Amino acid sequence: MAQAPNKRKTDLTGWWFTSPALILLSLFLFYPIVSSLWMSLQIGKGMNLSFGGFANIYRLTQDPVFIHALLNTLTFLVVQVPIMITLALLLAVTLNDSKLWGRSFFRTAIFLPCVTSLVAYSVLFKSMFAADGVINSFLQTLHVISSPIPWLADPFWAKIVIILAITWRWTGYNMIFFLAALQNIDPSIYEAARIDGIPAWARFWKITLPALKPVILFTTVTSTIGTLQLFDEVNNIPTLGGPADSTLTLSLYIYYLSFRFMPSFGYAATVSYVIVALVVVLSFLQFLIAREKQTS
Amino acid sequence: MKPHYLQRGLIYVVLLLAAYISVFPFFWMIVGSTNTMADILKGKTSFGNALTNNITHLLEQVDLPLLFWNSAKIAVIATALTMVISSLAGYGFEIFKTRMSERVFALLLAMLSIPFAAIMIPLFITMAQLHLINTHMAVIIPTVASIFIIFYFRQATKSFPSELRDAALVDGLKEWQIFLYIYLPVMRSTYAAATIIIFMANWNNYLWPLIVLQTNETKTLTLAVASLLTAYTPDFGMVMVATTLATLPTLFIFFALQKQFVQGLLGSAK
Amino acid sequence: MKNAFSRRSVLGAALAGISFLGATAAFAGTTVTVWCWDKEFNGATMKEAGARYAKAHPDVTLNVVDFAKPDMEQKLQAQLASGTTDGLPDIVLIEDYGAQKYLQSFTKAFEPLSDTKAIDYKTFANYKVALATVGDKTYSLPFDSGVSGMFYRSDYLAQAGYKSADLQDITWEKLIEVGKAVEAKTGHKLLDLDLSDQGLLRIMMQSAGIWYFSPDGKPAIAGNAKFKTVLSTYAKVLQSGIYKPVSGWAEYTGTFTSGETAAAITGVWMTATIKANKDQSGKWSIAPVPKVDGVEGAVHASNLGGSSWYVLASSKNKAAAIDFLAQEWGKDADFYQKILVNQGALGSFLAARDGEAYKASDAFFGGEATWQNFSTWLGKIPGVNYGTFTNEADAAVSAQVPALVKGGSVDDAIKAIDAQLKQQMQ
Repeated sequence: MAQAPNKRKTDLTGWWFTSPALILLSLFLFYPIVSSLWMSLQIGKGMNLSFGGFANIYRLTQDPVFIHALLNTLTFLVVQVPIMITLALLLAVTLNDSKLWGRSFFRTAIFLPCVTSLVAYSVLFKSMFAADGVINSFLQTLHVISSPIPWLADPFWAKIVIILAITWRWTGYNMIFFLAALQNIDPSIYEAARIDGIPAWARFWKITLPALKPVILFTTVTSTIGTLQLFDEVNNIPTLGGPADSTLTLSLYIYYLSFRFMPSFGYAATVSYVIVALVVVLSFLQFLIAREKQTS
Repeated sequence: MKPHYLQRGLIYVVLLLAAYISVFPFFWMIVGSTNTMADILKGKTSFGNALTNNITHLLEQVDLPLLFWNSAKIAVIATALTMVISSLAGYGFEIFKTRMSERVFALLLAMLSIPFAAIMIPLFITMAQLHLINTHMAVIIPTVASIFIIFYFRQATKSFPSELRDAALVDGLKEWQIFLYIYLPVMRSTYAAATIIIFMANWNNYLWPLIVLQTNETKTLTLAVASLLTAYTPDFGMVMVATTLATLPTLFIFFALQKQFVQGLLGSAK
Repeated sequence: MKNAFSRRSVLGAALAGISFLGATAAFAGTTVTVWCWDKEFNGATMKEAGARYAKAHPDVTLNVVDFAKPDMEQKLQAQLASGTTDGLPDIVLIEDYGAQKYLQSFTKAFEPLSDTKAIDYKTFANYKVALATVGDKTYSLPFDSGVSGMFYRSDYLAQAGYKSADLQDITWEKLIEVGKAVEAKTGHKLLDLDLSDQGLLRIMMQSAGIWYFSPDGKPAIAGNAKFKTVLSTYAKVLQSGIYKPVSGWAEYTGTFTSGETAAAITGVWMTATIKANKDQSGKWSIAPVPKVDGVEGAVHASNLGGSSWYVLASSKNKAAAIDFLAQEWGKDADFYQKILVNQGALGSFLAARDGEAYKASDAFFGGEATWQNFSTWLGKIPGVNYGTFTNEADAAVSAQVPALVKGGSVDDAIKAIDAQLKQQMQ
């Protein structure tokens, strides 16, 4: 019985901790979201809006550009996120070894791409992947290819450039999260395991990975969200959606619907809820997988 | 013995490759700052002597000190506030878990999935009603409660040993004292990582400041540099100098804080 | 309260911005805020106008704020959509292709300048006035024309055996021939094209007197013989190999200014960019745009881009802004000479064409009377209704370009473009 008032007091304290954030979020995030939800039920151009019910959802199914953008976005997700998380994890584990020479240098070097501003690295990738750019020269010198690849003029290769750009930029970012988590693991556990004769590979699987699970979940979910919302790179590197709209993502399409074309704010809001639905489904799945592994 | 050296060697090769790929573009940017536009377009990768020219040209075009000050002001204030408010929330959600708070947290995660373009206009209207258009506060406030950071701190708090808190409670410490005197020092590396990330996000923030800032006096460096690039006659050399300068602060913060990682290791509770 | 707030902030901005702008040291009075892109071109012309106006009206200061072009368009659209007028400027620059989009999407946001009777629209090029008119009200102060020409390296073309006279009255098919010869003899490709940017197609369409839409605003793609001819011509160019594919504005301009390619078919506003390379003086020349073969009424004149100044209806300094525009931009022919020489800005003010600068010859372009040529072409540009969905149409064409480059069927492309455009227009 003495438990109850204590628990209530503890719960209340919990809300004290979270309330500043929650108040700000309801004003500046929740309210705009509700507003845009209402907007997604509106049809019409510019400010001439009228209630359309589910008309926008129907329009989604009839819109080849939307389907194309959806497929592009999912392609980027499925290819890029696993590659990047794996790379970041491997690099973090490699760099966590205190006996490695030049750790600080490598860590800084690999993080550097995150710091380069969007404008700079867009210019950079555009010029490196130009038809007569550095990358083609390099590949031709190595005799990997015989004629220059038209990177940003070809629907397939343009996607590759984007994947390379995102991976280049964000691997170091995720690596930092892994590094911070790794440094929270007590090294004496590793020592004990080594003394017990457990090989490095097994130490990684049995000690490191489980300890990193919360952070892996975090980076996977946030990378998924980031890629589903992909905008910056595809807006700045290829021109206007890429050759044949091959690098048009959902966020870019929302941007066009709102700001480049005659504005269809209602339909744009609807497309953004498609992104929301995808994120919710995928995050839920990822959380489920994480929880299953825990119970097993 | 031999396989061990081979493994070591391989690791170094891979790391060097990763480092080269990561650093080359940055190097290219610095080299570009010293060359003229024509040279850059030709693909020159050696240093030139147009640096002073480019800098002078840049200073004529934009009020660099003001832009730096604006960006710095926003980034520093936003980062500080975010660290406080969002870490408090992350800690709160993890330590004081209730059925209700879990539902709220799930809702927050769902809200993370909304692309910014969808809420931009309603948010703008809110800011206008608060008479905050064209102020730095309008840029800062929406970012301070960052679900992303709340999420991060929550996950990180899972590895905060509960024995520490239990012991502190037994010792009669109040909750806020536990947070301030025990949690903060232990989670130093988490704070360091989060600071780097948030500072960088605020420094490079583009879309929202673009919408909400109206005049040359409030503009940030990121906005100004983008403006330079889409002129009819973009001067690449000048743009390169501008972007290099724009990159320096984040780099500095990173260098300053990465030591905390190591200290975090030494000081973390066992 | 709101009034005081915005007046104070605007004044504060003007005061703070004075050293930054280097403008005249006027203190109290009205500040007219202008949003535009490109400080060196549009911004500079505005400041020149502001300085001139200040001589007769020292109490009016101009505050020119510049943004990247796509950024400014997005910013303007976001703010107009929000319905809040806090912080909107007094005057804003809008590209002609998008004029109808803004005017029809945000009907009450702009001030109909024709109502004030301060501006005599007959003194401006007709096609510029038409595109800013909704119903019987005109909303713009027409600014620069995007009258097009073919800028080319006379030295490269001479090497391939072509003189200026050879390029005066050609079709696109002939241009392809020229391009192949130039590459064979000099190793330089003739053009550079960004395949996601349909500028070349737009030039072709307007020169043939058509657009994506018919005058009533309906799509004129399917079943339109003229459009099919234009698109087929465009496809021929795409398949000809006479161009280098590029990506992005900077690469586009960098390629011909560095001498890597031999020509650029674009608007007169590119002059400043080309002339910035002083060491190439005398090596450039300008020919009329090629004519589309097979369309009756097609001419050697077209337009690419161009923009106009608009006054926001919410502006607190409307009277000053309108008077400023009417006095400087609407009457001052001498001002137009100045901006022509300094910025290469070809205004749409017809009387300016009689000025000295417009008649002058330019050593950079081999002593030709460049501006005179452009002025002549300006008078011949067929007027078309850009409609409100040009960007959507451009996007629909871009989606089909890779197929056309590979030699795909023009009919299939037309069907696809039409379908996508109709879908976007709903």
